[in-house]
Amino acid sequence: MSEHDAPDPRSLGMEPEDLDGHTIEELADYLDRGRSPADPSIEQSAGCRIALDALERLRVLTPELLAADTAAEPPPEESWVQDILAGIALDARAGRRIPIAAPAPNTDLGITEGAVRGLIRAAEHTVPGVLVGRCRLDGDVTVPGEPVRVRVDVSVPYGEPIPDLVQRLREEISRRLTAHTTLDVTGIDITVHDVRRQSSPAEEDR
Amino acid sequence: MTRDHHRSPLESADDRIVAGRAADGDTAAFAALVRRYTPMMRAYARRILPGTAEVDDVVQEAFITAWDQLPALDDLGRVKSWLMRITSRKAIDRIRATRAHADVTELELPAPEQTAPPRRAEARAGIAALSDALQQLPDAQRECWVLREIGDYSYEEIADELDIPVSTVRGLLARARRDIIVRMEQWR
Repeated sequence: MSEHDAPDPRSLGMEPEDLDGHTIEELADYLDRGRSPADPSIEQSAGCRIALDALERLRVLTPELLAADTAAEPPPEESWVQDILAGIALDARAGRRIPIAAPAPNTDLGITEGAVRGLIRAAEHTVPGVLVGRCRLDGDVTVPGEPVRVRVDVSVPYGEPIPDLVQRLREEISRRLTAHTTLDVTGIDITVHDVRRQSSPAEEDR
Repeated sequence: MTRDHHRSPLESADDRIVAGRAADGDTAAFAALVRRYTPMMRAYARRILPGTAEVDDVVQEAFITAWDQLPALDDLGRVKSWLMRITSRKAIDRIRATRAHADVTELELPAPEQTAPPRRAEARAGIAALSDALQQLPDAQRECWVLREIGDYSYEEIADELDIPVSTVRGLLARARRDIIVRMEQWR
């Protein structure tokens, strides 16, 4: 047949009379329920089982279709990435205003939460390979003297002792917060969420 | 903005770390997410809106929205499916805009013949057959099927998004599945 002919469902047994009174819709719902509880009127119907097999094959193929489509897309051009970055609102991440205890009266100093997060992220530069993820300041940072706990997610490179990396990062974060803020930091909780394998195939078998 | 992004650990870090940084305002991390997921989002948008020039606009809008909403995303490890969801919402916005005056009978018109398939690289015959079957579905059937099976939408969510009754969604999906299966069986 030519590919644009409308298929005739009856010839392939997809109509209710071929499915012992069941419909494709019912069978799809039945599959969604994991064929449980088992329905004998479906399971004992040869027509239904043929249709269920076809629906299951389709279900397995679907994620493969998206994967194949994705693989067929070219990697994005750098100009595309930059166009998107040019369109995003950078001021949206300032967060809370954190007062800084001023040495002289009648002055009002502050730093944004976003800037403090930036300071914390930048601590990673002293511990090569470590990458800081989300960073949270727990506590009322808008009130001077209130206790504040810092929580950060990190990614570390494979093959280096994690306690050592984490300790170095914690010390650097502490040093930076002391140098640039007057926050009363009661603790810095670091959670390693990701250990990155370097993707160098030559090293795979060592 | 000079960034040596190809060597950056950001490119190999997991979604949770990269999305967490982007949520906190790091644009380099957001750029890494854009590079990582643009192909997937384009592929998905192309399945919802085949044969249109709007796919790049849809994906770009999706990323702008994602940047704004990332701080509210609780489970950062879900950023991939979350980006997929935003992509389909943006694609549906396009559908709604172009169909503002169409009624449901018009939605049932068969798909225009595609001059060129959107993909040529399907290695496996089954994937090619599915791709071909999808392209021949009428728009409304294809949209429902793609949202349900690729986008993991519930029937109710599809009804809400496309502004049609749930019973219509069920009917469209049943016909889409039947037509896809029949076409694929013919291929086998």
